[in-house]
Amino acid sequence: MFNYTLRRILTVVPTLLVLIIFSFYLMRLAPGGPFTSEKPLPPAVMQNVLERYGMDQPLYVQLWTYIKNIVFHFDFGPSFAQKDRTVNDVIAQGFPVTLTYGFWSAIFVLVLGIPLGIVAALRHNSFWDYTMTGLAIFSQIFPNFVLAPILVLLFTLSWGLLPGGGWNGGQWEYIVMPAIALGTSYMAGVARLTRGSLLEVLNAPFILTARSKGLPERTIIWRHALKPALLPTLTYMGPVFVYMITGSVFIDVFFSTGGIGQDFIDGAYSRDYAMLLGLAVLYSLLTFTLNLLLDLMYAWIDPKVRSNL
Amino acid sequence: MTDAKKRLNSQEFAQTVAEEMIVSRSFWADARRRFFGHRLAVFSIFMLLALLLFAIFGHAFAQWSYEEIDWNLLGLIKTEGGPNWENGHYFGVDELGRDLFARVVQGSRTSLMVGFVAGPLAVLLGATLGALAGYFGGRLDQFIVGFYTIWISIPYIIFFVVWQAFFGRSLTQMIIVIILVNWTAGLLIVRGQVMMLKNREFVDAARMLGMSDFAIIFKHLAPNILWVIVIYTSIVIPEVIMAESLVSFLGVGIQEPNTSWGALISEGAKTMTFGTLWQLGYPAAFFVIAQVSLYYIGDGLRDALDPKDRR
Repeated sequence: MFNYTLRRILTVVPTLLVLIIFSFYLMRLAPGGPFTSEKPLPPAVMQNVLERYGMDQPLYVQLWTYIKNIVFHFDFGPSFAQKDRTVNDVIAQGFPVTLTYGFWSAIFVLVLGIPLGIVAALRHNSFWDYTMTGLAIFSQIFPNFVLAPILVLLFTLSWGLLPGGGWNGGQWEYIVMPAIALGTSYMAGVARLTRGSLLEVLNAPFILTARSKGLPERTIIWRHALKPALLPTLTYMGPVFVYMITGSVFIDVFFSTGGIGQDFIDGAYSRDYAMLLGLAVLYSLLTFTLNLLLDLMYAWIDPKVRSNL
Repeated sequence: MTDAKKRLNSQEFAQTVAEEMIVSRSFWADARRRFFGHRLAVFSIFMLLALLLFAIFGHAFAQWSYEEIDWNLLGLIKTEGGPNWENGHYFGVDELGRDLFARVVQGSRTSLMVGFVAGPLAVLLGATLGALAGYFGGRLDQFIVGFYTIWISIPYIIFFVVWQAFFGRSLTQMIIVIILVNWTAGLLIVRGQVMMLKNREFVDAARMLGMSDFAIIFKHLAPNILWVIVIYTSIVIPEVIMAESLVSFLGVGIQEPNTSWGALISEGAKTMTFGTLWQLGYPAAFFVIAQVSLYYIGDGLRDALDPKDRR
């Protein structure tokens, strides 16, 4: 177990480093930096600007400073385009926002997805089952960038129930639509998976045993069937969290929540490489950490996985 | 001899029977029959063909080019810019007064092109690497699988956006980055299949005949794993179209005045507050029709080809 953890960390660190070095060289070598404008700056001014951002030094020195600052101070440096903000400011302001609706979205996925799947499995081949399966296919086809405009069209423009964007300090009205738009397709995935695995468990011999003992159906489901049936769902939630991190980029842009996704895309637009790279590193770091934690959790839960490490 | 007997003894009849037996026993003929038994999948094939024809020949029917601004309608878009057969804007105009019909044709071209070029290429790349890893094993296998494991842990939208920011936003660029993001699809399963197949007698026979490793992989193993490749391609194409649309929606995809479904949906979503719903509706409808058709075609192919799902 310990060896496995160590091995995983040892692959994550070089991957991140290669990513950083690769992107760092790319962004310094790409034509047209953040300071190129239609009217070129006077050389003296340009020199000062470059000095201010440490860009007059050789590339490897810059790279070293950059990595050193991230590792030892968790400091991603200043933004190139937004003069009064550092990348850290942006993270400090935007990350809690992304995290808040991400959290509620995850709750939405679990609280709606699991019961839907259970109902569909218990009422196999009934109206509910078909509705659920239809919903699952529907949400696979309507990705969040089609669903979100439809939600706004209905809830904001037609019925005027919810605000169509913004954040306003995280009032609940502003969280509802981002959470739904982010979570719907995963919710359907969870429901479909729960349905499938519960159906499989219900056909297992130990359920037959429970039935022959004369246990009431309720006890069979709650005490015996649900626990093993929910294990695959739990496994699926891992990738879901990871997808949600990247999916939040779209939500931030569309709903103008003020999360980090908006600044990430703006960074790509304005060639604000410090912002772009800093947030990309943050996203990757989050994804890697989450993946590692989840893998360790499976190993802890499932003895079969553990023995394979 | 009676006529019937004569017929049964004829060379012709033997030929027909032999042909029929060969045909009826072929895996692909079976698969074709199963696929055409899947009504939704067949219907979806027609829908997709219609979309392709629309994308290829649509410009011939458009009264306007996709870059041209109809100055007559500028400032009147909210009231006059809707779908109208008389002034030739079948789908209305976009917020800049450009013909939406022509733009949807152009967007379909881009999206379908990205899907049908980048998707198969990505799967082929992954399948080739998977086959090499599975066939040769050892160091090469470890290297490819290790690289694969690291690669899939990179968050792809993030990679996509960073790449687009550095390398510009042309169509070729888009296809390259999509291949880079999606080549992992199908790699592991092809590797597994090849590992299983390489110990079979026909591979031994080929080797004894003196065939080279590459000839064995591409001549004898490839036909046997073609079904995996077909299934994965059918899964990857809609995913690729979706990824392209998402990135275009975010504003870092295809560059103006070229456009794609995602970019059009994004523009439509921005202006829907003004009540110009056709600007969202038409691109979204095309996108959804494509996704639904591709989904059911993929479903039909899986039913037809996957030995596990066969009933």
